[in-house]
Amino acid sequence: MSIPALVTAVVAAAVIVASRGLRQRAQAVVLPIFTGILLLAVWHLWAESTWYELATPGQPTRRVEVFPTPGRVLPAFAELASDGRIFRYIIASLFRVATGFGVAALIGIPLGLYAGWSTRGGYAIDPYIAALRPISPIAWIPISTLAFGIKDEAAIFIIFMGAFFPIVTGAATAVRSMPIAYVRAAHNFGLRKWELLRFVVFPAALPQIITSLRIALGIGWLVVVAAEMTAIQSGLGFLIVDARNMGMRYDLVVAGMIVIGAIGIGLDWLVRRLERLDSVRWGFSKE
Amino acid sequence: MKLKIVLIGVAAFALLAYAHYRFNSGPISRGSLEPENPPSTAAGAGQAEAPKEREVFRVGFLPVTCHLTCPVTSWVTQHSSAGTKFQAERFSDFPTMKEALIARKIDATFMIVPLAMKLAADGVPVKIVYLGHRDGSALTVGIDSPFKEFKDLAGKRVAIPSRFSNQHLLMQRMLKQNGMARDAIELVEMAPPDMPGALAAKAIDGYIVGEPHGARAEMAGYGRVLFFMKDLWPDFISCGLVVRQELINDRPELVQELVDGIAASGLWLEDDIDDGAQHRKQASEVVGKVFYNQDPKLLEWVLTRPTDRVRYDNLLPTRKNFDEIMDLAVEMNVITKRMAFEEYCDAQFAPDLGALPKIENFPPPDVAAKSDK
Repeated sequence: MSIPALVTAVVAAAVIVASRGLRQRAQAVVLPIFTGILLLAVWHLWAESTWYELATPGQPTRRVEVFPTPGRVLPAFAELASDGRIFRYIIASLFRVATGFGVAALIGIPLGLYAGWSTRGGYAIDPYIAALRPISPIAWIPISTLAFGIKDEAAIFIIFMGAFFPIVTGAATAVRSMPIAYVRAAHNFGLRKWELLRFVVFPAALPQIITSLRIALGIGWLVVVAAEMTAIQSGLGFLIVDARNMGMRYDLVVAGMIVIGAIGIGLDWLVRRLERLDSVRWGFSKE
Repeated sequence: MKLKIVLIGVAAFALLAYAHYRFNSGPISRGSLEPENPPSTAAGAGQAEAPKEREVFRVGFLPVTCHLTCPVTSWVTQHSSAGTKFQAERFSDFPTMKEALIARKIDATFMIVPLAMKLAADGVPVKIVYLGHRDGSALTVGIDSPFKEFKDLAGKRVAIPSRFSNQHLLMQRMLKQNGMARDAIELVEMAPPDMPGALAAKAIDGYIVGEPHGARAEMAGYGRVLFFMKDLWPDFISCGLVVRQELINDRPELVQELVDGIAASGLWLEDDIDDGAQHRKQASEVVGKVFYNQDPKLLEWVLTRPTDRVRYDNLLPTRKNFDEIMDLAVEMNVITKRMAFEEYCDAQFAPDLGALPKIENFPPPDVAAKSDK
């Protein structure tokens, strides 16, 4: 067991406890930093606990490193950056998620609005959305391979399957929970059906739709690893799947996971910006 | 009221947990096999020895014919009265199997040879101690495809199980032999079970993989075998028995027993092939039903049409064979550090085949199930 890592963990934990006495603004800086340090130290200690000594008769005793420590993962980032692979993979994954998510929104929002607005539409669509939604996108991989082969479309389809259902349900619920007074008022102004949808229903539902888009994008990014398990040869998910295929490259696996997490934060931040638009903002009490 | 809900929840979970462990026999075992019988006392073996607990030792395998000697040995030792019981532990893919080996959750497994070499090169203390088979792969193409010879595949897309498979190295070897460029054929990595479907959907033009996945397309009528391994690389090796160095250090006698069992299984599968191949048919029945969860007819097809489609003799790992594989792997940059034969292979356990006891008892699955009750 490494003493420096243990000391680091203890110190980080002590700082976290002691930060109680700081002002809130200071806490906002100190807490995330030191929880991070604590996590890294725990990871280091756990990784080292998987290592063992091997004594073979007639050979020098050697240490076998099973799981990589944080220090062992850093060179993996350097390796991935040096040949530009990481940037190509990020672009590939972002492209697939953007496409799958975009198609899901284009089909899902109108379908959800319709299912929410029309009673007949709800009867027809609701049960099947409810039944298909809990199926993990991973289960679609064989079907996706049969339908789309081993091209980008196969991965995009998996992401679409992850993002589509939250959008439909979100849009449908948004319409259903709209105050009936809006519709009555619109009728009093003599709005026709399409005008009603365009100027009343859609804007009223928009804040909730944006929220469901945010969830859907999160899920789309979440399933990128599964989507790239199909036989395509690029992307962050492929990086992880491919590193598993190799001998002992768990440093690459962890590096891939960290990049996916970091980009996930970025994407969520972007969609949160959407919530601040004027046409949406009225729907949120906070911010 | 709230207490009631909590109690119902706890009771439901307890029932679920009980049912899971009752019916799925523990989290590691993958269900496939084994009537969980205590060492059978009522099997009528006639030997009234003290009921000594026999050791159970797990050996990993994938449901492919390259690993067939693993379940055969498992079945034989489960129905013998003495010695270690080798329990075949089913995996679905090589990465998971490899991880179980690295993390020391399993001590022995059948594995593609270049992957084992790669593990050794990466510092994982494992050794190949014996081979699992010879040949046993097929290059399969669409039934209506025009391909006749290897060169016809230029510009086409062919699936391989892994870069670290010998099927990949074989494709590279064939490209070189035919004077074709390295990238003349587009090779894509794909999970073996998905390959026949991808061929049917015309997502790929062909695939090369361990049986029975080639025969699946053949039997279903949309694929045909373009080449057997004997046509491309005679005595082809794809998988070997890989054990952890610690096991060799601490339990050499156990490794010996396992290798003896694998070798005896191989002999048994071979010794009547010119005489109706009854043993192979029996093996198809048992392995298909109990271990692989595949149609026994599919296995029988692979094992008998023709019988040299896959072979279970000549299982001694030799320097000459492995050096050739290693050279190809290094040349293709699949392995970056060239390893000496001794660093990844330990042939000391290879038995004297003439001295091995013959397999006599190989009961069919239903009879075995009856004798357990």
